[in-house]
Amino acid sequence: MEYIVVLLLFVVVMQTRVMELRRSVVCLMIQSGLIASACIVVGLNHGLWHALVPCLLTIGVKVIFIPGTMLRLIDKITDDREIFSNINVNYATLAAAAFLVLGYILAGRFMLAPIARDIFAATIMMIMTGLALMVMRRRAILQMCGLITLENGIYLLGLIITQGLPLVVELGVFLDVLIAVVVLVILTNRMSLSFMTTDTTVMKKLKG
Amino acid sequence: MELYYILALPPIFAMVAASNVLSLSVLHWADRLTACAVFGCILSLGAHFVPAEPLRLNYFMVDAFSLWMLFIIGLLYMAFAWTSKAYLERDTNIRYGYLRRFTHLEGRFYALSHLFVWTMMLVVTVDSLGLMWVTIEATTLVSALLVAFKFTRTSLEAAWKYVMVCTVGICLALLGTIIVYYGQLQALGDTAPLNWEFLSEHAVMLDPDVAKMAFCFLFVGYGTKIGLAPMHAWLPDAHSEAPALTSGLLSGALCICALYVLLRATAVLMPAVGIDFISNMYIYFGLFTIALAVPFVVVQRDVKRMLAYSSMENFGLLAAGFGLFMPLAAEASLLHMFNHALVKYMLFYTAGTIMETYATKNMMRIHGMMQQAPRTAMFWLLGIVGILGMPPMGVFFSKFFIIASFFENNHPYLGIMALLFLAGMLFGILYHAMRMLGGRPSRKSAGELLGRLDMTVLIIMLAGSGLISAFAYEIPYVGTILTAAAQIVLGGVH
Repeated sequence: MEYIVVLLLFVVVMQTRVMELRRSVVCLMIQSGLIASACIVVGLNHGLWHALVPCLLTIGVKVIFIPGTMLRLIDKITDDREIFSNINVNYATLAAAAFLVLGYILAGRFMLAPIARDIFAATIMMIMTGLALMVMRRRAILQMCGLITLENGIYLLGLIITQGLPLVVELGVFLDVLIAVVVLVILTNRMSLSFMTTDTTVMKKLKG
Repeated sequence: MELYYILALPPIFAMVAASNVLSLSVLHWADRLTACAVFGCILSLGAHFVPAEPLRLNYFMVDAFSLWMLFIIGLLYMAFAWTSKAYLERDTNIRYGYLRRFTHLEGRFYALSHLFVWTMMLVVTVDSLGLMWVTIEATTLVSALLVAFKFTRTSLEAAWKYVMVCTVGICLALLGTIIVYYGQLQALGDTAPLNWEFLSEHAVMLDPDVAKMAFCFLFVGYGTKIGLAPMHAWLPDAHSEAPALTSGLLSGALCICALYVLLRATAVLMPAVGIDFISNMYIYFGLFTIALAVPFVVVQRDVKRMLAYSSMENFGLLAAGFGLFMPLAAEASLLHMFNHALVKYMLFYTAGTIMETYATKNMMRIHGMMQQAPRTAMFWLLGIVGILGMPPMGVFFSKFFIIASFFENNHPYLGIMALLFLAGMLFGILYHAMRMLGGRPSRKSAGELLGRLDMTVLIIMLAGSGLISAFAYEIPYVGTILTAAAQIVLGGVH
């Protein structure tokens, strides 16, 4: 479990540095794969069945379907300015580091056992970094990556503090994430059709 | 048995409509029939309903509060079904409709709208806090496609903002739900996980700190969806850019569904957290929402945005009213949900008609409606008078009792503040509405667009809201269900 957490932190920090859309989606894929393996490790303490269903769902939805759809969407975007950009990414990385410290402070407050503390800090960092990515990134697809990171963080937190939600609820959560990505992909697609770009800063007409 | 019909018919119709096999006139009639059947089932469910014995099926539970919400949603469903044909025909009209460049969108619009209503009905009938979260998120996703339905640049912007803001908010609510589950596992073990009835019976045993943290996350999360300030950023955009019928459903039913879930969660957490903290959160966030809506209404130019801010004012008032946690206020707030839903749907529909009559959303360019389109003008005036809470209309009764309970509950200064904000709202909305109604016409209009059927529906909605709220306790069933629902909302504090 410790190795998984370290790898997860590494991937999330990578994600704050990557501006290229395809690589960012691949990062997301690896991140979800790690979450799936965490499902197995945590779930095995509570019986095989309870471990296998969420794990398979994570692999099916978050490792295969979501990144697959996003990659297909990126293929459609032909504008080169979309794929490369030169925004300073150091702020996001710095923020991620700060969030990790915050996570450990919070974990200290709740006086958890050492291993649980590491995972807890990692989940706080994922949640906050996901939020920061959604706010700081301009491109629609990177914002979607931030959203999935946030969702993964909350999911992992649920996994460690409650050993997973009731099965029906968990199925519903997966269904919702699935539909959310489909809706966002549809919207992004229309956006690139009618604005000729997926940079969300062009959308600033509605105010007041 | 009725519950099965209620939950099965809308998705079946949605599938049929999406497949585009029906001809247009059959589609319109099938839409009306579905809504009538569902509403009939809701009425017959209510007719032999005893408040003390909630209906339980696996994963579903209907008690008085759910039934009241189902009643409101069902009424709006009926209103939707009986106005949709006229609306769609106007929207696709060759001369002035803004969907005129597209064809065959009717099936898709019906499918999405019925699915939207269906998800809202699921929200109010499922029995666990986790499933409530799932269904609330589902409403966001379905309605996002409806908000973006016209696929203009502004509607895309609104939909993007809507999905992003609401999904983040709802993710926080998921965190809150997970924390509630954690509290339940610690205090009660894993029997009946997240089941609302079980939790609210054993609510005292939850750990206070855990419960408080959960409440904060849930309040911020569902507050985003209700549109409480400062998490309201999506609300005016989505309401103003969606098709008029969708705006009516969003404002009338969706936001109060989120409020419903928040109230359910509050009833669970109240004994552990303590009433003071929760009551303060509700009242101050509610009043802040009203205060924030006033200046935006006064300077507004977009007619549907003005209505959206007026909705925010009403949601703020609802939150503050429920936050008082006394029977009078709770019953008045439940009644206000109903009145606001009917009147606001009617107003959004009329606003959509006005937009098509004048081919603009800008209120500053519309003058002299009384001369050019007298019937539309009359309904606009009636709706505005209704939403501002003037005496013969239903909203008057509910607003009056909410404000009165501020004074009864030893919050006179807050009551006076709320009254001042409401006065500001009245000034802003009346100013804009009167400018539109009076004066000399300055713009070519498409003439009178309201048909006979629309007018009948609108009259029934206005009169129904007025009659039911004036005689709520004289009408059998309505009074008992209201009282029982208020007791559920109040939870531990009767």
